[in-house]
Amino acid sequence: MLRRFATSPSGAKMKRESQSPLPLRVWRAKWLYLALLVPVAMLLIFEWLPAFSALYNSLYIWNGGKVHFYVGLEHYERMLSDRTFRVAITNLLGFVFFRVIMQTVLPFFAAEMIVNLRSARWSYWWKIIFVFPMVVPTILNYLIWRFIYNPQVGLLNEGLELIGLEQYTHAWLGDPNTVMWALAFVRFPWLPTLQFLIILGGLQTIPQEVHESAAIDGAGFWRRLFYIDIPMTRRQITLAMILTMLFMTQRFDLFLVMTDGGPGYSSMVPALQLYQSAFHFLEFGYASAIGVVLFVAMLALTIINLRVSAGATAQ
Amino acid sequence: MAMRNRKVLRIANRDLPFQLVLIAFGIVTFFPLVLVVITSLKSNTQFYHNFWLPELPFQFGNYSSAFRIIWRYIVNSVIYSGSTICLIAIIASVAGYVFARFSFPFKTVLFLAFIMLIMVPGVLTLAPRFVLVRDLGLVNTPFALISVWVSGGLVLSTWLMRSYFESLPQELFDAAYVDGAAEWQVFFYVSVPLARPMIATVAMTTLIASWNDLIWPLVTITDKDKMPLAMGLMQFSSDFETDWGTLFAGYVISSVPLLCVFAVAMRQFISGLTSGSIKA
Repeated sequence: MLRRFATSPSGAKMKRESQSPLPLRVWRAKWLYLALLVPVAMLLIFEWLPAFSALYNSLYIWNGGKVHFYVGLEHYERMLSDRTFRVAITNLLGFVFFRVIMQTVLPFFAAEMIVNLRSARWSYWWKIIFVFPMVVPTILNYLIWRFIYNPQVGLLNEGLELIGLEQYTHAWLGDPNTVMWALAFVRFPWLPTLQFLIILGGLQTIPQEVHESAAIDGAGFWRRLFYIDIPMTRRQITLAMILTMLFMTQRFDLFLVMTDGGPGYSSMVPALQLYQSAFHFLEFGYASAIGVVLFVAMLALTIINLRVSAGATAQ
Repeated sequence: MAMRNRKVLRIANRDLPFQLVLIAFGIVTFFPLVLVVITSLKSNTQFYHNFWLPELPFQFGNYSSAFRIIWRYIVNSVIYSGSTICLIAIIASVAGYVFARFSFPFKTVLFLAFIMLIMVPGVLTLAPRFVLVRDLGLVNTPFALISVWVSGGLVLSTWLMRSYFESLPQELFDAAYVDGAAEWQVFFYVSVPLARPMIATVAMTTLIASWNDLIWPLVTITDKDKMPLAMGLMQFSSDFETDWGTLFAGYVISSVPLLCVFAVAMRQFISGLTSGSIKA
C-alpha cells in the first residue's frame, strides 16, 4: 500500500499519483501522517506555540498568570531607555567579538599543527587529548573557573604569588573593570570541541598534493597558511564562527553561574536579563520582547555571515 | 633496521617544533584538571597549607562523602537523558525515513515545520514555554525535562536522519521490495541497521545537550532528589562551598559518566565530526 508513495526514479508512477484528487492522496498517505503525528504534535506544542506566544506576549504586560493586558510596543520602547539593557548589549557585543576570535583562532592553530604532524599515531592522540575536556560537564567548567578566579584561594592569584607578582592579585570577578575579561577567558586553554572538530575536518580534506606542490614551489609554513589552508577551509571557519556567535548570544548559564550579572549589573547580558525579568520579576511580557530582539539579531547575523562568506567564495 | 630508524628520526625531527607547541598546549589544558584531582585528595588543612602539590595522606574519604550526595543526581540524569535519547532515536528515524523515502501531500509544509525551528533560539521560547509546562502541570516532574528535550532535539535529529536515508541508494530498497519485504520490514531490517552510525551521532549530540542543560531544569525542577546532574552540581557547590576536598571529589565523580561513554565512542565521535562533510 505504502510502496506506491515511495520516491523512485521512474517518473511514470509519480505522475499518475499526483493526478488523483487531493483528498484521495491524503487518505492513501494516512499511515505516513500517523507516523509523523507524534513529532509534529510535539513540535507544535513545545516549540511553535511558545515561539508565537513570545511574539504575541511581547505586546502585553503579563506576569505569567492572570495579569495580562495590551501595551503595544511599550516594551520595545522601554528597552531603548533601559540602562541595564544598554549595558547588557554592550557587554554582549564585546564578549561575542572576543569569543568568536578566540574560539576560531585557537582551534585553527591547534588543528593546523595536528594536521601538519607526519606521525599519524601522534595526531590521533592529540585529537583525543584536545577533545578530552568535553567529558567535564559544562557547569563544572564554570565552577572550576570560579575557583581559578577565587580571590582568596584561586589558582590565578596563587599562581601570581608563586612567581612573585603579588601586586597583581585581584578579585577578578568582583571588580566591574575586570569581570567581563575574566568571563571572556573562562575555559580559555580548552578548545571548543565542536568548532575544533569542524575546522580539523576542513583541514584534513585539503589534498596532500596541494601541500606537496606548494612545498616544491618553496612556500613555507606561513605562506601555506595564508594562501592555502585558510582560503580552503573558509566554509568551516565561517560555520565555526556562526556557531560561536549563536551559542554565545543565547547561552547565559556562564553568566548565571559565575556572577549572576554582578557586581551591580556590570556583567549583565540580554539573555540573562530576559531570565531575570521572567523568573525574578515575573515580567514575562518584557522578557518575551527581549527574546524577540535577540531572535531578530541572531537571524540577521546568520544571514549576513552566510552572505559575506558566499560572496567571498564566489570571487 | 638502521634505515627505518633514520626515517623515524627524520619524521620526529620535522615534527619537533609542532610537537613542542602541542605539548605546551596540552599541559596548559590538563593543568586545571590535574589540580582538581590533586585537591580532591586533600583535607582543607592540607589545601591551605600547600596549594599546589599532592600531600600525604590522601583523603579518600572525600570521595565517599561526595558520592553519597552526587550519586542521586547522576542516576537522575542517566534516567532523564537515557529516555530522551531513546525517544529521539525512535521518533527521528521514523520521521526522517518518511521524509526521505515518500512523497505525499503537504510534505514540504510539514518538513518546514521541522526545519524552520533551527533558527528559533531557545532563549526566545524559554519564558512562554515555562508557562505552558506549568499550565500542563508538568513542573517538578521528569516529563517537564524529557518532553522539552525531545522536542528540541527532534529538529536537528530528524534533519540528520532524513539526509542519511536520502543518501542510501535506491537499489538497496528495490532489492528488498523484490524479495517481498513489507515497508516496515524494509525499515527495520534494511534502513535502521544501515543508519546505525547516524543514529549514534544523534544519540551523542542529544546526550551532550541534555546532560549539560542547566537553565531548563533550573526553572522547572525544585525538589532536590529530582534534580539532574548539572543542576545538582550547582546545589552541591553551594552546599560544600568551603569544603574544597569534598567539592572537588564530587567534580571528579560527576565527570566519570561522560568519560565512560567517550572511552567507548570517542573514535566514532571524532571521525563523525571531522569527516569534512560539515560545511556552512
